[in-house]
Amino acid sequence: MSLLHYFEALEASPIGVFVKDKAATFAIIEAVHLVALALLGAAVLSADLRLLNVVLRDVPSNTVTDQAHRWFKLALLMLVITGFFMLAGVATKCYHNPFYWTKMIALGIGIVFVFAIRAPLLRKDHAQLNPWTLKLMALASMTIWFVVAASGRWIGFSG
Amino acid sequence: MLNVWLLKIAEWIGATWTSVALHESFYMYGWIESIHVITLTISLGMLIVIDLRMLGLWLTSVPASTIAQRLDRPMLIGFSIMVVTGVLLYVGIPIRTTQSLWFRIKMILLVAAFINAWLFRKHMQRSVGSWDTAAVPPRRTRVAAALSLTLWAAVVFCGRFIAYDWFDCGQDNPPFIDWAAGCVAGEDVG
Repeated sequence: MSLLHYFEALEASPIGVFVKDKAATFAIIEAVHLVALALLGAAVLSADLRLLNVVLRDVPSNTVTDQAHRWFKLALLMLVITGFFMLAGVATKCYHNPFYWTKMIALGIGIVFVFAIRAPLLRKDHAQLNPWTLKLMALASMTIWFVVAASGRWIGFSG
Repeated sequence: MLNVWLLKIAEWIGATWTSVALHESFYMYGWIESIHVITLTISLGMLIVIDLRMLGLWLTSVPASTIAQRLDRPMLIGFSIMVVTGVLLYVGIPIRTTQSLWFRIKMILLVAAFINAWLFRKHMQRSVGSWDTAAVPPRRTRVAAALSLTLWAAVVFCGRFIAYDWFDCGQDNPPFIDWAAGCVAGEDVG
């Protein structure tokens, strides 16, 4: 089966029908997706802006990033679940949408980056790490999540 | 009467060069809307950190006043961008937005959220000395923080719903909806 068939099957599934059937279902899921985006922003920006010495300079950066990571995981979970439901409603449209694939690639990079590189590194004592490593990582993190969010918004404009 | 005036103002804005340019530009409106949405991560992002601290759920080892003071500026920068882009979004589509039920609810919720924030700030200035380092602040603080989060989530919902035409004027809506949306009889402008 080709990839397109999976997208078609998802759209025809009960989940796809549930999301597509009433305009309000999609809109409510979209709104929850946006609230979760704000929570993701809280987690990503509080940690990254702390690493860049922009905010909370008088709070140990280990404290800020440790706690932010817990909320990041919750936000990501909410985003992935609501995102999956949104996809189910318009799966074939997304399959043909370049911004959807841009977002998925950026999201994949973001998830690997966070769990394989960023989180393990930030668990160490920040005072022992090269400050530039931390700063560059913060910039990379904000850039990746900005691309994910921006290309996501653009899916709706280019359907 | 009020709705007639609001509509007249909206019609005047809609006829301006700026409004037409925003509306007819192929990319501009989408860019402004994207900036408006993504800036949520700064404005509401910082607000969420502050409110979750006040609920005793985030950064509890740090004094509450430290979190509130240090994140105040980035939050206000975020909200400034929200206001500027929000005004531009209104100017781009003034008539339909004026008669949007969701836009009207959103504006009322924004006023409520602002009053809540203002009262909270006063409450904090008065009493924070006694609970600043407490991991879980007193009940009154927690209620205000929960109310803030609820109001802002509702603002996001209404903002997103403005894009949908469920209750636009000129459709077969119940009279109550047309009244709340401020539809002006004989002037069904979509």
